[in-house]
Amino acid sequence: MSSTTPGRSAQNERELVLTRVFAAPRPLVFQCWTDSEHMKNWFGPRMFTNPTCQLDVRTGGTWRIVMRGPDGTEHVATGVYQEVIPNERLVFTNIAEDSNGARLLEGITTVTFEDHGAGTKLTLRTRMTGLVPAAPAMLDGMEAGWSQSLDRLTEELEAV
Amino acid sequence: MTEDSLTTTLAALADPTRRAILARLASGEASVTELAGPFDMSMPAISKHLKVLERARLITRAREAQWRPCTLNAAPLKEVAQWVEYYRQFWEQRLDRLGDYLNDLQRREKSNVKHNTRPKRAKRT
Repeated sequence: MSSTTPGRSAQNERELVLTRVFAAPRPLVFQCWTDSEHMKNWFGPRMFTNPTCQLDVRTGGTWRIVMRGPDGTEHVATGVYQEVIPNERLVFTNIAEDSNGARLLEGITTVTFEDHGAGTKLTLRTRMTGLVPAAPAMLDGMEAGWSQSLDRLTEELEAV
Repeated sequence: MTEDSLTTTLAALADPTRRAILARLASGEASVTELAGPFDMSMPAISKHLKVLERARLITRAREAQWRPCTLNAAPLKEVAQWVEYYRQFWEQRLDRLGDYLNDLQRREKSNVKHNTRPKRAKRT
């Protein structure tokens, strides 16, 4: 089960919300997020492995996962835990870096765990911060120039 | 949108000079000399930035004209603006994998209980 809500008013404050129900007890689901021996087995896209998975699960502790794609390319994801309530709630920042350590994506993710019958309902919220929310603003600023370029392209195509 | 094209776009945007170049191009095409104007930078340095932007498909440069004007291509920027969609895929995929992993784990722990009283932590490579 999954669902997405489009989020709030301002474009820069959009938030992603996903919910899932897992047929597993709450402590085990929580453990999958906090024990690196578990986390390294599922974090990352399919076909990716995680040669490094370090989780210092306490408020202020950092986490760092190096994901390796099928072509050998490595992607680093890292962040800091903001809040840790065992079996209930995890709040952490997530930062994606390029190979030079430049921050590409920055966000804050909250994961909550609730009983759901014999299973567990997980709710994940991610709000992006940093560079990405700047993109819609840049686009707005460029709207005029952009449509100008499109006009020009149209003219060029008509001329062909 | 693939993970890689977004990464390339973001890496190109992660520099204030390159963002300023894009902002300038928003008002129309420009030559390298024109783009270098407002910056206290050497031509090779500007060319380097333009190469990064070109590789990220954020600008295109005319092949024919002598002065090879640069033009903005905003499509990759739009992809960045659609990060909610990107992150939805990113997390959906991980949660799918977590679901499969939890099923595997519990199946294995069940079969371990038959042999051991204390189930070992499942490992998967």
